[in-house]
Amino acid sequence: MKPTPYVGEFEYAVLLAVMHVETDAYAVPVRAVLEERTGRPVARGALYTALERLEAKGCVRSRMGDPTPERGGKARRYFNVTPLGVKALKAMHASLASLSKGLEAVLEQP
Amino acid sequence: MTSPTTPPLSAERLLRLSIRDLEWRDAVTGDLREEFAELTRRRGVAVARQWYWRQSLALTARFAAGRVIPAVTPRRRTGVAELEAMSLGSGWVREFRHAWRALWQRPGLSAVIIGTLALALAANAVIFNLADALYLRPFRFAEVDRLVVIASDTSSDKPYFDRESVAPADFQDWTRVATSVRELVALEWWDPTYSGVERPEQVHGFRVSPAYFATMRVQPLLGRTFTAAEGRPEANRTVVLSHAFWQRRFGGDPTVLGKTLRLGGAPHVVVGVMPPRFAVPYGAEVWAPLGYDEAGWAERRRGFLMTFGRLAESQTLESARAEMAALAARQSTEFPETNRLRKVTLVSFSRGLGDDAVGPFVAIWQAAAALLLMIACANIANLLLARGTERQPEFAIRLALGAGRTRLALQLLIEGLCLAALGVIAGTGLAAVAIRFSRDFLPPTVVRFVPGYEFIRLDLATTAAVAAFGAAATVIFSLVPALQASRAAASGALLGGTRASTAPPGRQWMRSLLAGAQVALTLALVVASALILGAVNRAANGATGFDKRNLITARLTLPEGPYADAQRRRTFSARVLETIRALPSVTDAAVISALPYTNLAASRTLFLDGQPADDATPRTVDLQRTTPEYFSALRIPLVAGRNLSDGDGPEAPRVALVSQKLAEEYWPAQDPIGRRFRLEKDGDWVTVVGVVGDVLQDWFTGKRLPTVYRPLGQDPTFSMTFVARTSGDPLLLADAVRRAVTAADPDQPIENLATMDDVIRAKVTGIDYFARVLTVMSGLALVLALTGMYSLMSYLSARRTKEIGLRLALGATRQQVMWLTANRAGRITAGGVLAGVALATMLSRVMQSALFGLVSPSAAVLVGAVALLTAVTMAAGYVPARRAARQDPWVALRTE
Repeated sequence: MKPTPYVGEFEYAVLLAVMHVETDAYAVPVRAVLEERTGRPVARGALYTALERLEAKGCVRSRMGDPTPERGGKARRYFNVTPLGVKALKAMHASLASLSKGLEAVLEQP
Repeated sequence: MTSPTTPPLSAERLLRLSIRDLEWRDAVTGDLREEFAELTRRRGVAVARQWYWRQSLALTARFAAGRVIPAVTPRRRTGVAELEAMSLGSGWVREFRHAWRALWQRPGLSAVIIGTLALALAANAVIFNLADALYLRPFRFAEVDRLVVIASDTSSDKPYFDRESVAPADFQDWTRVATSVRELVALEWWDPTYSGVERPEQVHGFRVSPAYFATMRVQPLLGRTFTAAEGRPEANRTVVLSHAFWQRRFGGDPTVLGKTLRLGGAPHVVVGVMPPRFAVPYGAEVWAPLGYDEAGWAERRRGFLMTFGRLAESQTLESARAEMAALAARQSTEFPETNRLRKVTLVSFSRGLGDDAVGPFVAIWQAAAALLLMIACANIANLLLARGTERQPEFAIRLALGAGRTRLALQLLIEGLCLAALGVIAGTGLAAVAIRFSRDFLPPTVVRFVPGYEFIRLDLATTAAVAAFGAAATVIFSLVPALQASRAAASGALLGGTRASTAPPGRQWMRSLLAGAQVALTLALVVASALILGAVNRAANGATGFDKRNLITARLTLPEGPYADAQRRRTFSARVLETIRALPSVTDAAVISALPYTNLAASRTLFLDGQPADDATPRTVDLQRTTPEYFSALRIPLVAGRNLSDGDGPEAPRVALVSQKLAEEYWPAQDPIGRRFRLEKDGDWVTVVGVVGDVLQDWFTGKRLPTVYRPLGQDPTFSMTFVARTSGDPLLLADAVRRAVTAADPDQPIENLATMDDVIRAKVTGIDYFARVLTVMSGLALVLALTGMYSLMSYLSARRTKEIGLRLALGATRQQVMWLTANRAGRITAGGVLAGVALATMLSRVMQSALFGLVSPSAAVLVGAVALLTAVTMAAGYVPARRAARQDPWVALRTE
């Protein structure tokens, strides 16, 4: 049994975004979701870095799609979240929830 | 959806280079392309392209920094071995960082070293490039290394390789018999007049065997090459054009095929166009088939064909030489009358078509460049030694802290590498400029005869050579200081600190040796270039036997077709001469078949009346055809007898003038006037009517060849040069001379219209170029020797500041103190000069034999060079000596 990996804040956001795109999540739509939902610009390089790290940690799995002409014959790299990734998300969620417990008065103020 | 637009490809290429993982590479560039296409749709191509550049640069920076996507393989646990490897890696980085800091501690010193190295490397790059382009690989087409040039040697009086020397019958024999060399082809110079157009001109070309292009392994760009049937008389009226000529005269028009050009007065049908950059040999613009009949191919007496061939499979130059030598031996017994003295020379294509002088020139250049690099290395080694002494305490501390001696030596080697890397970069930049300059320096008139000219440029090979030279130099100049550092004694240096007033004697000895070696090498270079410059000067301005000032010359060749009738040639030259003579500033005007210095005169064998012919040593003479005023125009004195006259026409008795040299050689102590000779075995008898002064016909050999001058009226040539002496600037007459020719025949171009001064200058261009390159190098060497001596002397006197202060305090005079330093500079100079004289004497001997006796060792040059070197190095030593003597003893004593 693998230990649950620790994911950083940006990696956490990327994991959630990949799940939102559901099928055929590759860098372009993932970045679009991230920017749309967080309202912050996301550097492409940072996204690639995060995806690569997540894959190394076993939180996402990737596969190469088919080359398409509008991409100059280059294939897409699709990602989906692994059970381990879900576990890491849950762990992060739980720790955040436990950390914020008792601070609802401050955190939920408008 | 619109068709996909392409992003900036160079940006994409850059990005791809920075990503090592192949899958990621496709994924990332694909994503960018997708977004690029989207952005193009929304905002237009310009915005999208800008965006693409920004994104790809940002990503490149990120990937290249190695922060992302490090390896294809999954990560493993770090083991001990990897930890060690990592520490070694970071150790290297540390070493380099350390070296970098050390260099920055003395920026001035580092700059001097880098500058010195850059200069020497740039000089070597230029020479390497020239050698590669002009000598090693002047021809770069397919399988050129299997091509050979074959020549016949008949006499040994020409010091150079005569490539147009094969007799047609000999050529036929070889083609039939030779097995080691196949696909033989023959060529004959053919510079026809291109006429029947608005601007007639003389074009450069060759008549060749139909198989010529097949042997050269080139395919035509357009059309075809020659068929075997076209190699017959009258059938050979086809022509293949060079790419350059096609572009120049037809603007690259593909419909040129099938057109008829008037070449040499005869119509020729264009059948093909060659690909770009094929202008072999000698900048050929047109090629037409040779068209000898049976009798033409049976000619065995005269050799004038150029012959190329291909080494057969598994044959070498040596085996082919052996076969050809055996063949030549057989021919000489079979045809003793013509072939008895004939030998066969077989050389590689590059060697055969190059100028013979290029080899020795390039060799001397390379020797000079190597000397320069050695001087630079000695200089740098000396500077580093001095710096090493200064850093003794640092090394001592490192040793005391447990650094190994190899580690210290390695450290110095790395510092050397850093210096060399910077030197290589600066040197490459400098070389790019210098190579460009050395290319533009060659006058366009000679470029045609410089095979490989187009390769004079900073190419990959040259850059690699610079790096290699730099690496070699690093090893040389960092070895000495590295050894010194590895011998450093920890305790002594620590105790003594910087107080050690002078370096140990052993090391000083090494330094003086290096400085002395610089002086010696520089002296040799200075002598070599002075000798060459002297030779150039002699060739251009030496005694020629005529007055070369205020002469305008116009060389042309009449086409054989329209001028087949001798009377038409006479009329043409007479008409042109008449017009030129009528020009106001012209004092004399004449026609000569070949100008002196041009090496174009015809050679003939002389058969004397009453003296039996000796086949072993044929009496070879230069044959000139001229008009009477030639001798007054060139101010060649008439020594005896009468001049030629207009009365010596076709119907008059055959007469000639002979040169003094000829008269002395064949009628010693006799009156040559009235003697008779023949120029062919069964030719007409010619009577000598006068003797004229000798003229230098061939500057290269410097020989005054026996010369026969026949009246043009009795033997009108196709090729002729008009010469006119003017009272003013001869160039002002250029247009008038051109008009005179056009008036006589509007279709007739002039090959070369120039003053006699320029004709001579053009002849010495090659050696002049050679001399100038060498002079630049010896100038550089002088500068390096000067700085080397100066830096050594200033360093030494700085090291002895305290000692000098003590001496001054104890009552030594300034002269005595100055003597201390100057004495040493003097000893180094004297040693260097002595060794240099020996080296220079050796070098000038080598040059004398390598350059066909063009230069001769000269005591005056040697003395001058010694004086120059002594003055320069003593001056370099004097300044630091004076500074040492001027110092205040109190200040000096207190310095650390």
